[in-house]
Amino acid sequence: MSFFSSGFFWFMEGVFACLAVLGLKLWAEDRGIPMPFWKWILAGIWVVFLGFTIAFVGTSLGENEVVAARLGGILFGLTSIVSGIGLWRLLHSGRKAVK
Amino acid sequence: MTQNKGKGFTRRTFLKASGAASALLGSAGLGFYGYEAGKDPRTYRGWENWEGVNQDFNRKKYAVDKPTYLKVGETSRPDARSDVIFYRRGLFRRQWRDETGLEGLDPYLQKYYRQNPEHLELDLYSQNELMPKLMADTRKYRKQFLLAAAWSNAMGAVGPPRITEPPEKSDFMLNRRTGQPIEAVQFKDPVKTSKLIKKMAHELGSTLVGIARLNPDWVYSYTSIGRGFKSDEPIEVPKHWQFAIVVGTPMSWDPLYANPTYGTSNDAYSRSRIIGFRLASFIKQLGYGARPHTPGTDYDLMVPPILVDAGIGEQGRPSIVITPELGNNFRPAVITTNLPLVPDKPIDFGVQDFCKHCKICAENCPSGAITFGDPVEERGYLRFKVDTAKCLNFWNSTLGSMGCRLCVAVCPYTRKANWIHKAALKVTADDPTGLTEKGLTFLQKKFYPGPDPQTYYMPSLGGENASYRPPPWWLRSEDFIE
Repeated sequence: MSFFSSGFFWFMEGVFACLAVLGLKLWAEDRGIPMPFWKWILAGIWVVFLGFTIAFVGTSLGENEVVAARLGGILFGLTSIVSGIGLWRLLHSGRKAVK
Repeated sequence: MTQNKGKGFTRRTFLKASGAASALLGSAGLGFYGYEAGKDPRTYRGWENWEGVNQDFNRKKYAVDKPTYLKVGETSRPDARSDVIFYRRGLFRRQWRDETGLEGLDPYLQKYYRQNPEHLELDLYSQNELMPKLMADTRKYRKQFLLAAAWSNAMGAVGPPRITEPPEKSDFMLNRRTGQPIEAVQFKDPVKTSKLIKKMAHELGSTLVGIARLNPDWVYSYTSIGRGFKSDEPIEVPKHWQFAIVVGTPMSWDPLYANPTYGTSNDAYSRSRIIGFRLASFIKQLGYGARPHTPGTDYDLMVPPILVDAGIGEQGRPSIVITPELGNNFRPAVITTNLPLVPDKPIDFGVQDFCKHCKICAENCPSGAITFGDPVEERGYLRFKVDTAKCLNFWNSTLGSMGCRLCVAVCPYTRKANWIHKAALKVTADDPTGLTEKGLTFLQKKFYPGPDPQTYYMPSLGGENASYRPPPWWLRSEDFIE
């Protein structure tokens, strides 16, 4: 069994996710960005979609399906970027000036 | 939390930086996980382990009372001598003389060819033009497919002997002294017996197993391959053929995608054949009748509708059965028996609708054998009709380890069991609107394209010996042989 299909890998992914959430929270506080629950939900959905995109490209390459990796990367990747920009702007809505 | 501005790298800054780094590492990890999942041989269902762990689709959720094929008229049983292409071609080759023509054939063949004159043309074309070309091209390109052919032949080299006695004799274990069938043990409960038989089938190596009550419509009316039946006498369905146990295994996945040139059916044929004989032996030792009907051609009945009856899958556009676990990468065997069992229910996980819209197999079929149309009536039942004469002629138009299997390789259901394809199957089966199915079919066509179907033909017929996907490293003769 390789590292990436082991339980320890998913444990590490969980640790990374917790740290990323904590980092986002601190970053938002420092910048005066209010983070109501719906922003967390939207951010979560976006992160899952981005993860899907990355894993899709990886899996397709592992399957030796280069066309699927390329087209999936473009289609899902562009969707991630566009929605990411939208989410970025949305996250900054209601921002207060930080002293 | 205290902000220590002016003190340089604070704990807060450290946590924020850790968060950003974690997001990057986590994302990269998903990419590597995906790569490993795509390569992982444990996604090659039916080859990585036994014990039945691969039969993991929740069939109860999709169980229906009636099979998904439709009975629309008066039914009749197939005459294997003419309706089954392999048997018909064998008889045709033995009987056809140019000087006597149609009149020189047995009456049932004459009748068949009068009703299907296009098949006479295709059978003649195969004999007179195709086979000589195949021989010549095989000699010319033999080296390229040497390992594939050797592997295929090795897979088919071992198997139980053919059945030669009639069912009332060969299907039972006889007492050596009296010559009578041994006494049947009494089972407590058919439900428990069915569970036992399924466990035993898995123990014997079967990836999937199901039980059906045998519909006599699926038994041949005549056959030409013996097995205790005479070719000029109608087959009476033996009384002890009450139930049909279906077992089966998939073909090896990497060569499957390298069809029509590098794959083989022999691997799954051989495994399923051995499992069929072993399970029949198990039942016979308990005093019940059992006859295995196994690949390649040792059948007294049609297998696909029995698979449907047993809830293994649904009959799709290429006329073979599509299962939830293996797609149509499934080579079955059937054991007919009088062991008291409880039949499984047929399932409906959306294949009929899916196949009506998808048509990927028809688009990729070089011979045009797979219809683009709707199901049509045949012997009283509606089904997608495949022109088996065109299909077999293509087998003889391509080099390598013989056969085609492109309709298996390109089917959206026939994918390795990694998270992408498992999720796609789950969503498709559970979406009543059909929108997911259409969307995924569109993506399948764009994401997993194959070469131009005409390039699959051998060079003397204008093709390039193409395969749907490149062969696995261990079948590339040029990398090993001078």
